[in-house]
Amino acid sequence: MIERIQRLTTIATQLRRDVVNAVYAAKDGHPGPCMSAADLVAALYFDILHVNPENPDWMDRDRFILSKGHACPILYAALARRGYFPPAELKSLRTLDSRLQGHPVMKKTPGVDANSGSLGHGLSQGCGLALAARRRGVDSLTFVLTGDGELEEGIVWEAAMSVAKFKLTNIVAIVDNNGMQSGGTVNAVGGLYPLREKWEAFGWYVAELDGHDMGQIITALEKAAIRGRASSEIGVEMPIIPRQPPPGPGQPIVIIAHTIKGKGVPYMEGDNSWHKRVPTDAEYQLAMSLLKGLDLE
Amino acid sequence: MNKQESTRVGFMQGLDAVAEKDDRILLVSADSLKAMRADLFAAKYPGRVIEVGIAEQNAAATAAGLAIGGMIPYFATYAGFITMRACEQIRTFIAYPELNVKLVGINGGIAGGEREGVTHQFFEDIGILRTIPNVTILVPADAGQARQAAIAAASIPGPVYIRLGSGRDPVVFEGNTPFNPGKIHILQQKGRDIALFGNGILLPRLLAAAEVLGTRGLGVTVVEVHTVKPLDAEGVALVLNECGAAVAAEDHNIIGGLGSAIMEVAGENAPVPIARIGLRDRFPGSGPPDALLDRYGMGLRDIVDAAVATIGRKGRRA
Repeated sequence: MIERIQRLTTIATQLRRDVVNAVYAAKDGHPGPCMSAADLVAALYFDILHVNPENPDWMDRDRFILSKGHACPILYAALARRGYFPPAELKSLRTLDSRLQGHPVMKKTPGVDANSGSLGHGLSQGCGLALAARRRGVDSLTFVLTGDGELEEGIVWEAAMSVAKFKLTNIVAIVDNNGMQSGGTVNAVGGLYPLREKWEAFGWYVAELDGHDMGQIITALEKAAIRGRASSEIGVEMPIIPRQPPPGPGQPIVIIAHTIKGKGVPYMEGDNSWHKRVPTDAEYQLAMSLLKGLDLE
Repeated sequence: MNKQESTRVGFMQGLDAVAEKDDRILLVSADSLKAMRADLFAAKYPGRVIEVGIAEQNAAATAAGLAIGGMIPYFATYAGFITMRACEQIRTFIAYPELNVKLVGINGGIAGGEREGVTHQFFEDIGILRTIPNVTILVPADAGQARQAAIAAASIPGPVYIRLGSGRDPVVFEGNTPFNPGKIHILQQKGRDIALFGNGILLPRLLAAAEVLGTRGLGVTVVEVHTVKPLDAEGVALVLNECGAAVAAEDHNIIGGLGSAIMEVAGENAPVPIARIGLRDRFPGSGPPDALLDRYGMGLRDIVDAAVATIGRKGRRA
């Protein structure tokens, strides 16, 4: 377990380094929201997801929807390091004719499973994907990573109602709860809290954890995945996180991951100006010295 | 001409026919099963109805997910709740990735919404969808064509919109009328004084107008344009050049729909005088369908007068 955690933590740092490289090269993009999601994305792509970079269109693969599409550099970094395309291509982010669009586009980028970037849509798309997998009788899972600010979109709660109604256990929602959105804190801007109670009121099982504690992340994701791959009607349930009862039969799981916007680059942490901002040369060098890893060649 | 048959029922018959052959076909509902007359379908295919409740945006985005997952979802509800409330979901999550989602809008036009009033009369749907790339737009004229459109949509790759009516829809074509998406359908060619283009519920009025014009010694070509997008621009231009004048009629705002599409072809390829028949950019109201069409600029006399005036403009510089 310790080796697994160390490996994934190293990968997360690499992905953060790739994000800074990509945004610095593009001179555009959203680094802060990538950093809060980096550990979750690393765990998914390098431990949990059943995917095959050699065959990105494999129909029965697991799916990952980055509903907070503005954080796509972290997704692109994960896809590149997982082997979907060369890491050097990350430098083409947001440039003319690049496969790496400003927000994710499924038909342009190998490995991107859904369009996103107009906030709030991942859970609905995921609901459709999960229903399709159930109908086709395959055990592929759908993971949807949402921001917390985007939970202000009404469609998220329409989808939350649907997923619970359909008793979908082959979908896992993850909230990157960094507490901030473009214009300030999620509570000041949108009145988001209380959050746990909202999900529970919509019929969801809520697992809260530290979104930068790799041990907690993989433990919860792995349990949710094992449960999701089993038939949803079996009713054999286990706790997703310690000291909490298991989800009820057919009850969908949302993981509220408490995160820090900008995590991993001290001058970005908690500074919301990094929601969308490009590092200066000095800031870039500092980030590179802190985030050890490979370059984009 | 007074015989009625529901376009909704016709559509559901077509959906049943394709669903029997292809188990990827699903019906997505936003509490619209009753309106869609889908009870028989739901009873026959209980596992193939995805009911999300009164939540059209969620329905559209869920349909996108279903399509990514290999299904062929038909999302059917009121035309405006699809094309306006779920407009962005269609644009970014269905049309942009060219997903195999079929959209079915009922109460198309002011006659389609009839007594419900403006909230349920949808005269903007075609104009809205025409500005979104990758969307095929079909406007069946009656129940028989609605049935065929439902079947045809399954084999048209990518997003397709099918516009339906109130469920009290006049029968235009007796028997098995051919329905070839993508091509104009010439209904009659009795001369080249003017061409009358139209679709949907207005087709019987166009045919009646052609008859009136005929009694005045004018030769009329009547053309059905059930596929508004991609428009058969070549076919339209050919007719325009042959006739040298045209009327384009539809139960839709005169802005953005079939009339605009025909004028775009004319402006670029066949500059002839054209008059548009449709709702003249104002809000209508409740009423019986025929009275509504008469009141809001789509009456037989409106079409005849527009045709005569347009023939009078032939050969003059506009």
